Amino acid sequence: MDMNEKEKIEAQPAGEVKSELPDTKEGRLVKDLLERAPYAEGSVRRERRVEFKVPPERIHEFLELASEKFEMLMQISTVDWIKEGEFELVYQLWSVSESVHAFVRTRVPRENAKLPTVMDIWPVAETYEREAHEFFGIIFEGNPRLGPFILEPREYEKHPLRKDFNTLGHVKALYGEDFDRYDESKTNYVI
Amino acid sequence: MANVEVPRELKAEAKQHDMYLHPIDKDTYELFFGPQHMATENFSIILKMDGNRIEKAIVNPGFLHRGFEKLAEHRPYFTNIALILRICVPESDVPENIYSMAVDEIVGWEVPDRAIWIRNVVLEMARVAGWMFWIMGFGNEIGLYTAGQWAAAYRERFMRLYEELTGGRVYHIYTVPGGVRRDIPGDRWLRQLRDTVEYIKGKLKDFDEILFDNYITFERTEGVGVMDKRFALKHAVTGPNLRAVGVPYDVRKDDPYYLYDQLDFEVPVLKEGDSLARTLVRRYELEQDLYILEQLLDMGPPSGPYMVQDARLKALPRFKPPKGDAYAHVESTKGDFGAYIVSDGSHKPYRAHFRGPSQSHGVTVLEELLKGARIADVPVILKTLDNCPPDIDR
Repeated sequence: MDMNEKEKIEAQPAGEVKSELPDTKEGRLVKDLLERAPYAEGSVRRERRVEFKVPPERIHEFLELASEKFEMLMQISTVDWIKEGEFELVYQLWSVSESVHAFVRTRVPRENAKLPTVMDIWPVAETYEREAHEFFGIIFEGNPRLGPFILEPREYEKHPLRKDFNTLGHVKALYGEDFDRYDESKTNYVI
Repeated sequence: MANVEVPRELKAEAKQHDMYLHPIDKDTYELFFGPQHMATENFSIILKMDGNRIEKAIVNPGFLHRGFEKLAEHRPYFTNIALILRICVPESDVPENIYSMAVDEIVGWEVPDRAIWIRNVVLEMARVAGWMFWIMGFGNEIGLYTAGQWAAAYRERFMRLYEELTGGRVYHIYTVPGGVRRDIPGDRWLRQLRDTVEYIKGKLKDFDEILFDNYITFERTEGVGVMDKRFALKHAVTGPNLRAVGVPYDVRKDDPYYLYDQLDFEVPVLKEGDSLARTLVRRYELEQDLYILEQLLDMGPPSGPYMVQDARLKALPRFKPPKGDAYAHVESTKGDFGAYIVSDGSHKPYRAHFRGPSQSHGVTVLEELLKGARIADVPVILKTLDNCPPDIDR
């Protein structure tokens, strides 16, 4: 199995990807969706796994189209690519009728990350967006319940799952400087 | 709303039951349900009550947040197994397996047949033990304590088998990327597993008489917490809760992993969508899982290694998979449990994100189903949705 498949697809221009789609149920699904949404890029990853890349300003429009075939939104996974200065949001969709899982990827800049909510398409997105907001600080416009959810109110606005969150500094600030379970002078911790 | 004094006798009663009543107006008050309440299992619901009816429910999770996803980014791939299995307490094999499946896909490993068979048996054992755990909770919630105590005792048999196989009773740390950590102890263990399956199969009739075909169960669950098909799909309801509204979606059939495409089993579907349908779907699935375990035992473990043969595994702490990402999911007793793992080529995962079924069952679905319910129905709805708070908090 070729693990660098994703990078190859990124290097190709969008026009060529369409012609390479295999004649399977996954290939037809991607082709149908790309014809109606030409701004997106799509590919078939393997059996029962397809992938789309969508610009962030058209994500709501694309997901509304996709929701006709993909009935369930399983999760919104956020990845902090700190070197590129971007958040990648992966909308994990599942199609009950076709038995296909789709990754819908979009990238937003890390500073003042904003996206439209998809609560109107899938009400369950409310929970996923609250989680992404709390742990990464992404603002979903239109979601009325953004705020402290899983974390304590004093930990809110710290966004602990960002890559630049200082775990040790936070623990020291919380429990005092004499917190000595971790010795900074030791470099070779064996976990 | 104006602050209205709570009557003194009501205050005394609240103090006696360790509840806090916050008056909103004359008839409405706020009730903090959990986390001390047995049914809620480490999370709480803030109920806005109108007499005995619930006007609005707000779920308040976070009591079990231990930051596993952040910690997983700081530990090597194989060390993470001991961490992420704590995401699902009653079925700790499920997070182990989805994490291992996702890492296998990133690396491109072909897991040996023997390891696949062992993983499949462990997952099915986890399902049967999970049903026993669920019967324990459900029986206790509706007041049929005997069934609950029986189930707890039968679950113990699986705990002993697990202890012999893995060394751990509840947390096994057994399935790792590339295979499993140890081989099967021997034929005696397989005979014991078959005896246990036979034993529980014989006890199904007793469970039917005391719990599933019981007048009390019907009275408590029929017509309580009804949802329809459209609502369930929009709210990403999975597992037995989805099959109770008439959608035959089962990960084992629709996205088969391990040996499930070679096994013969049925997906029970009911269409009423109330608590009774959810209860009965679980009863039928318990029977199917015992049948699957019997088939696996008839098949027997294939010969060969139980771990993938790879030179990179000799330096385990510095093991580095290639760049890539993968999503793997399995059918747990609670629903579709998924993991999304991203690798940037270093020896630690760049991101590990888990999708617990209770993220939908325990938050938005619960809030909607509780609207208009009586206070006595809250534990019934909670238990038939099979809400598991560590999924939400992680």
